[in-house]
Amino acid sequence: MRIDKEIKWHVLLCCALVLSLTPIVFALSSSFKELSEAYSNVFGLPQHPTLSNYVQVFSRLPLVQITTNTFLIAVAVTIFKTVTSTLAAYSFVYFDFRGKNVLYFILISTIFIPFTVTMIPNYLTISQLGFRNNIIGVILPQLSDATGIFLIRQAMRTVPRSLIEAARLDQTGHLRILGNIVFPLVKPAVVSSGIMFFINSWNEYVWPVLILKDKANFTLPLALQLFISSEGGTDFTIAMAVSVITMIIPLVLYIIFQRYIITTFTSSGIKG
Amino acid sequence: MKEIVFENVCKSYGKTKVIENLNLNIHPGERLILLGASGCGKSTTLRLIAGLEEITSGNLYMNGQRVNDVSSGDRNVSMVFQNYALYPHMTVADNIVYGLKIQKLPKEEIRQRLQSALDMLELNGLEDRKPKDLSGGQRQRVALARAIVKRSDLLLLDEPLSNLDAQLRGHARKELVKIHQTYHQTFIYVTHDQVEAMTVGERIALMHEGKLQMIDTPYNVYNRPANVFTAKFIGSPSTNIFEAHYAERSIIIGKQAVRLPELWSAHLGKNGCREFYLGIRPEHIRLEQNKTDNVFVGIVKYIEEYGNRCGVYFDIEGNEVVAICDRAEFKPGNRVCFGLAADKIHIFDKQTTMNIGYPEVYCEHFYQYQSV
Repeated sequence: MRIDKEIKWHVLLCCALVLSLTPIVFALSSSFKELSEAYSNVFGLPQHPTLSNYVQVFSRLPLVQITTNTFLIAVAVTIFKTVTSTLAAYSFVYFDFRGKNVLYFILISTIFIPFTVTMIPNYLTISQLGFRNNIIGVILPQLSDATGIFLIRQAMRTVPRSLIEAARLDQTGHLRILGNIVFPLVKPAVVSSGIMFFINSWNEYVWPVLILKDKANFTLPLALQLFISSEGGTDFTIAMAVSVITMIIPLVLYIIFQRYIITTFTSSGIKG
Repeated sequence: MKEIVFENVCKSYGKTKVIENLNLNIHPGERLILLGASGCGKSTTLRLIAGLEEITSGNLYMNGQRVNDVSSGDRNVSMVFQNYALYPHMTVADNIVYGLKIQKLPKEEIRQRLQSALDMLELNGLEDRKPKDLSGGQRQRVALARAIVKRSDLLLLDEPLSNLDAQLRGHARKELVKIHQTYHQTFIYVTHDQVEAMTVGERIALMHEGKLQMIDTPYNVYNRPANVFTAKFIGSPSTNIFEAHYAERSIIIGKQAVRLPELWSAHLGKNGCREFYLGIRPEHIRLEQNKTDNVFVGIVKYIEEYGNRCGVYFDIEGNEVVAICDRAEFKPGNRVCFGLAADKIHIFDKQTTMNIGYPEVYCEHFYQYQSV
């Protein structure tokens, strides 16, 4: 009975795995095919593997510059969001001040405001500040995030208050309490929030497309769009090569930090 | 050493009053127990001393200095928390010396204090372990070590033994007294366990619903309860309390009367006390079967076996009474009776429920009796 049940679960998980991996395998194998082969041999492995798509990408676009832009934006956004979310979460958990709950409620409700509502005011602000066609213009509106505050606050609430009080009795300041005591205990939540910020920023398309005009300032999703839009033609094997390049850095980061991500999601699962 | 004085201290959370008008003097170097049931305000009192809660009104003084607005870190107090509050990601040694490192003490000094605490609390060999790898008793000792190495004048203990099993608790109680005798810090110890209070405390402050009921030595708290609450709270089974009145030199409960010794008659006469509560501890009732003269009479309802002794529950004029006897020589349905031992009764005012005091001759053996 038990084995039967396990087999059922494994079959289900295998199906999920196949569904998740198919697009990746498809992109990877297509990126090594000629365009003609990609249409004749859609799902098979490349018969005559070629690097020509990658060579074309690098020759037609300043890809190193574009990857650097994407990386800089993602790193800046991740660092700022993680720091602001951690500090705000700490204040919401351990400081008692008038209107705390109302403020928190307002902050969390901003999660539900669609991007399109804030898009135009943000665009006007960035224009006024003179940051159009500049990666700073992409970074600025993304420096704080209510979702991060929410996630880290939830993790901090599990840290017993007595630990903070014990540290306070030892004359420890709040920044030190955060660094020495709270952070080590909520590190998985902070790191996985950081990864979430990084990936969201890495994949961000709509906001950069509004702000960035020159190819030299582009991010990877914009570069990808050049090869699949009606304007740029449908060089879809080249687009797949860009996709593969876009995937590499988040994938490496995931491999490095996967233990934190797994810890966060499994522990939140146990605590319900 | 620090003297701590509470002056009309109140603490409220919104509309809920947790501490009401607390006046309390804690002497330097003493072991004071804050005793009471859950929610009586004892832990809050301790946290007010630590500076972890703000005082709503009134004043708190330490060494004559008003400390209402002094932050907890600047009060130089150590505290052992009920859940020990050990930092889970640090080793035992790091936990113990964390506060010393924050104070930037010289490394050699830190090492010496750590070693002396490890020796004192028999924690040698556990320095590099994490708290999760320790037993409950070991964790409790690490928490104590962390509080001791600070060498502050004041050690606050919030139910430090409540997570230990009964056997370890007995051992830890002795250890705590030994630590006090070594360092002579002022101990303020919160507990709901009266055995702990009696054995560890030099003085006990009994609290109920945010109010101080009595503060005195364990001996006096037990033998000279300031009010009905104290009499009932301290001791197990708790003191028998009867609604009684005084007439013609006798105490009358319902339809039964027992003549009072001359000393008590004079005392009651002096106080003008006619209606009152009579308190007698179960262990001070000497049950007999056949006596008829000058005794209260009841019928045994059931017997509670304690192993070495037994509790005999019987009924007198609608009051359930319990008496502790050495052997189970009575059976349910038996007639039992007892007289009044003049030096073992307590009389409380019916309106205020306060003890009216004792005839002078019975006060000789006791320390100064203090009511609040």
